[in-house]
Amino acid sequence: MTWLTFLISGTLLAATPLLIAALGEVVVEKSGVLNLSIEGMMSVGAVTAFIVVFETGNHWLALAAGGVAAIVLSVVFACVVLFALGNQVVSGLAVGLLGIGIAGLAGGSYENMTVAPMARLQIPFLSELPVIGPGLFNHPLPVYLAPLLAVVLWWALKYSKVGLVVRAVGESPESANAVGYNVVGIRFLAIMFGGFLAGVSGAFLCVASSTLWADGMVAGRGWIVIALVVFAMWRVERVVIGAYLFGAASIAELLVQSAGISVPSQLMTSIPYIVTIVAVSILSMDGKRVRLNAPVSLGRVYLGTH
Amino acid sequence: MLNILKKLAMAACVSLVAATAQAEPTKLGFIYPSPTGDVGWAKQLDLAREAVVKEFGDKVSTRVVENVAEGPDAGRVINQMISDGAKFVVLGSFGYFNDGLRLARQFPDVAFLHASGFKQSKNFGTFTARNYEGFYLAGMAGGMVTKSNTLGIVAAFAVPEVVAEVNAIALAVKKVNPDAKIKIVWVNTWFDPAKEQDAARAAISRRAGVLFSLHQDTPSVVNVGQAQKVFVVNTNSDMTSHGPDAVLASVTTDWAKYFVKEVGDKLADNFNGTDFRGGIADGTVKVVAWNKAISADQMAQIKQAEADLTSGKMHVFAGPLRDQSGTERVAEGANLPDPDIFAMNWLVEGLDGSLPK
Repeated sequence: MTWLTFLISGTLLAATPLLIAALGEVVVEKSGVLNLSIEGMMSVGAVTAFIVVFETGNHWLALAAGGVAAIVLSVVFACVVLFALGNQVVSGLAVGLLGIGIAGLAGGSYENMTVAPMARLQIPFLSELPVIGPGLFNHPLPVYLAPLLAVVLWWALKYSKVGLVVRAVGESPESANAVGYNVVGIRFLAIMFGGFLAGVSGAFLCVASSTLWADGMVAGRGWIVIALVVFAMWRVERVVIGAYLFGAASIAELLVQSAGISVPSQLMTSIPYIVTIVAVSILSMDGKRVRLNAPVSLGRVYLGTH
Repeated sequence: MLNILKKLAMAACVSLVAATAQAEPTKLGFIYPSPTGDVGWAKQLDLAREAVVKEFGDKVSTRVVENVAEGPDAGRVINQMISDGAKFVVLGSFGYFNDGLRLARQFPDVAFLHASGFKQSKNFGTFTARNYEGFYLAGMAGGMVTKSNTLGIVAAFAVPEVVAEVNAIALAVKKVNPDAKIKIVWVNTWFDPAKEQDAARAAISRRAGVLFSLHQDTPSVVNVGQAQKVFVVNTNSDMTSHGPDAVLASVTTDWAKYFVKEVGDKLADNFNGTDFRGGIADGTVKVVAWNKAISADQMAQIKQAEADLTSGKMHVFAGPLRDQSGTERVAEGANLPDPDIFAMNWLVEGLDGSLPK
């Protein structure tokens, strides 16, 4: 594998979990709920997926199980913020910590174990191309499903009725309610959707790219996801750019170091963050447009109509 | 109210007497920064704890709290252990240093052993491994078996301990294979398995056929090595089961002898906090799981070096030694003194890359 091949393949593998979780978070935030518990949901998804692969060897079942496990956690979050009317920031942090804790506990006896990697797609002709073949066309299927999902979500949020309703609920829950939509119900479903994707994302990280379980292995990616969504101004196409950019920068950093170039490594380590923030900020420079894009009721408690 | 207090005090006295009469086991507490798991730093500490239990039987009772975050939580956990009666506490991470030192002053009858601390007192001893000696031996093996003449190092943080290991590898490789090149990738994290794996893949994409996984506590790099058919030397535990073909050698730490001695001292009431630095000579650092790819001839050379390190005939950082800029750091005939080894902040001549200033 040449360094160019690794730059491509490493970027795809590093960006995929970020993209999957960020797409879910876009939907949740578009519905007006700030979900800060992504890290915990990814952890729960990761450990569940690991246990499933370890016991059954089925990676697809594991991805689904990871998603479902995170849905359970997201329901806890949804109940707290939608029914108990808890502050979204505090509730999100609490549920996130809960998820990280549960994952550590559930994975205790699997700590530092290893599973077989997920099967990689072999596309006739394409996978055999030099450089690009092993770089682009030699990965587990979810690597390709993630951008596909992004396209679907982009279309759905922009043009479909479901998407418009979700956005309406996030912009003005009172108006949505007035025209007959069940605000709490829609937000509940959005949170579950976001939870599912966060779980799948953690599952992918664990059983498709790392193949090992260790407590804390999500290692802050849940926070990067949240930052990506905000810096991308809640727009799906920019989330896609941000995720791949971050992935590429985090791989490039390691490649520059391994070339033996004398750059302080701490500076290199911070480059993915700097590049992503700068790039996405430039895209989002127009303050008026940012305000237009931010869901107006994001983070606000919806008291309902009494 | 006063009455209740009196009763309580009496009850306490009675139970104290009862306790002495029954010769209760001495309570030993162990605090680890990570889960014990299958392999890793905490696992090695726990193996030593098991050795202590085996040695002293029902004279001691041990309690473990794993995965304790460094910071305020650590102080709370240590405090709790002491108030539960622990008389001997092992602090398994550098990050517990300040809390440990403070509580050691507060509870002079409790003995502490702290991993890699730099201050000692009557009841506060510290322990450090000379892992660099193990990595020197493993580095020889790496330099011998490489086919691409390129080796990669995935290193956690550029702290002196890790820098010393990088330098030891470089010196060993240079000795057995002067043409070999070394690619260093600092991941700047103690724990992020996915990133460590990417760093390993980056080094492999630069043709590294032998990787050194410096202070990765999980088999992250070993897994990549196994999948991509490159050799890996890893830290802390024998990871052969995670990479039967990949593991070239594992540089492990064995604290059993040291823990047993210190607990014995405590039981005999003559504990004294010392600065313990265990290496190849005393068996604290052991290189195990040598790969079959190393020929008998090469193994003999490595074993010779091990014997020379043990006898003191050889020193890893023996002069003349120059740093990257060509400045002489150790003169001909001299050895780098311990304080300088454990404060190493320079790379030896011939290595690429730079260190944080």
